[in-house]
Amino acid sequence: MLDNVVFGSYYPIDSKVHTMNPISKIICTLLFVFMIFLSNDIKIVSLVFILSILLCEMAHIPKRIYGKTIKSLKVIILFVILIYYFTGLGIDNILMTIMRLIGIVLYTTVITLTTPPTEITYGLQKVFSPLNLIGLPVNKISLSISLALRFIPTIIDQGNKILKSQASRGVDYSNSNIIGKFTALKSMLIPMFILTIRRADTLAESMQIRMYNINAKRTNYRLNKWGIFDTFLFMLHFIVFGLMITRMVI
Amino acid sequence: MEIKFNNVSFSYNVKSPLEKEVLKDINIEIENGKITGLIGKSGSGKSTMVQLINALNFPTKGNLEVGTFIIDSKKRKIKKVNDLRVNIGLIFQFPEEQFFNMTVFDEISFGMKYFKFKTADIEKRVVNALKMVGLNKDYLYRNPFTLSSGEKRKVAIASILAYNPSIIILDEPTIGLDSISKKKLVELIRTLKNRYKKTIILVSHDVDLIHQISDKIIVINDGKVVLDGNKYDVFKHEAELKKYGIKLPKAIEFSNLVYKKTGKKIGYRDDINDILKDVYRNAR
Repeated sequence: MLDNVVFGSYYPIDSKVHTMNPISKIICTLLFVFMIFLSNDIKIVSLVFILSILLCEMAHIPKRIYGKTIKSLKVIILFVILIYYFTGLGIDNILMTIMRLIGIVLYTTVITLTTPPTEITYGLQKVFSPLNLIGLPVNKISLSISLALRFIPTIIDQGNKILKSQASRGVDYSNSNIIGKFTALKSMLIPMFILTIRRADTLAESMQIRMYNINAKRTNYRLNKWGIFDTFLFMLHFIVFGLMITRMVI
Repeated sequence: MEIKFNNVSFSYNVKSPLEKEVLKDINIEIENGKITGLIGKSGSGKSTMVQLINALNFPTKGNLEVGTFIIDSKKRKIKKVNDLRVNIGLIFQFPEEQFFNMTVFDEISFGMKYFKFKTADIEKRVVNALKMVGLNKDYLYRNPFTLSSGEKRKVAIASILAYNPSIIILDEPTIGLDSISKKKLVELIRTLKNRYKKTIILVSHDVDLIHQISDKIIVINDGKVVLDGNKYDVFKHEAELKKYGIKLPKAIEFSNLVYKKTGKKIGYRDDINDILKDVYRNAR
């Protein structure tokens, strides 16, 4: 029923993107987001868009998974086209907005599909550690991000159970009309909140009884080496970034 | 309604590296008006198997016949699926995770609204269902999330009994129940079978419970049906059961022990308490 939710789930195969260093992944993602949102030049946006497709290509993850993700954007894309049609802003702007949407979704999907949540946290912690100097609690932020990521599959699982129990009593979400769908969703929300908060409480307690200390210095049991592929992708991003800056200045 | 599995296989996450075959080529028949017990280690595919009967999942190979309905791996949709589901009451393993209403009344009446029962009937049926599981009217407007786990279990059973399905599937019904509630549940299951002629499928790894009340037993190991027959025959395969990680019921273990030590055969009993009573009587 909710089986086709892709975001936030790790897809365990072997590819160059999978073996990349999480730190370089996070830096590349930040650069990517920066470039795709700040650039107003269709050439640069298309270049950045191609970058995201390149990454998808190298991750060796079946195309149908990306297809599903893009398919879920269809309503928003339609909405964008309508808005631009009525305001008369020209084809360039429509194309740029659509590329931005699809690009950002594809890129984040690839990153979450190829990186386990623990590594994402590790990457975030390392990349943002300089901010500790100005008093920002990087440890706390990265812990809450990793917990949020950890709860995505749990919540999906929980939702699935409620949908199944509703289906066996007459309201089948996937095979019913819009009213049935609305009923199913409406009645799912409150129990999901209750159960998730309860789980979070249990999780916090279980961390406390195992003496979790947020400020302790942590080591990583995995060796995250910087490889040639990391340098390659890093350079690729920087070249596009440099192009963007020169276009903006000149 | 008769249930028949024809070469049924089922996998989770089809066509992905996480693909896992949970059921492998299952051929069984579940008879009308009898209690069928499904036993196996945890993770052997018991719960998945019963969810197929309700068309919540579709098999990846083969098909199921449930009455006149056919749940097929190729045609993954059923016309008038609610006509099938109104006849099958599935009580899930963790009652807490299946609740989604804010009062016990809403929870129990939920199914009936969508199975198109008359509104006037609904309240009477809800109260009756609560009475059957041993809860009184005071529970009607309480929040199901604040009940104790035994009470939650009872509400979950009541929410199925309310619409009177002809097949009742209980997935691990005794978890979280104290011994008195457990005894009452056994009585309830027996009345459902004897008085109301229901077909009951009991999924559990509680061998004593299964041995006590079921007529037919199906043993599952690693997604395959390894033993299938009436309870007298199935528990004769002691060595095989041990291999699949299933202990013998206490009643049988006791009579085997007596036979080994003294060479005397004691009469067949399916409840250890009955044996104890016999022993007490003989000792006097």
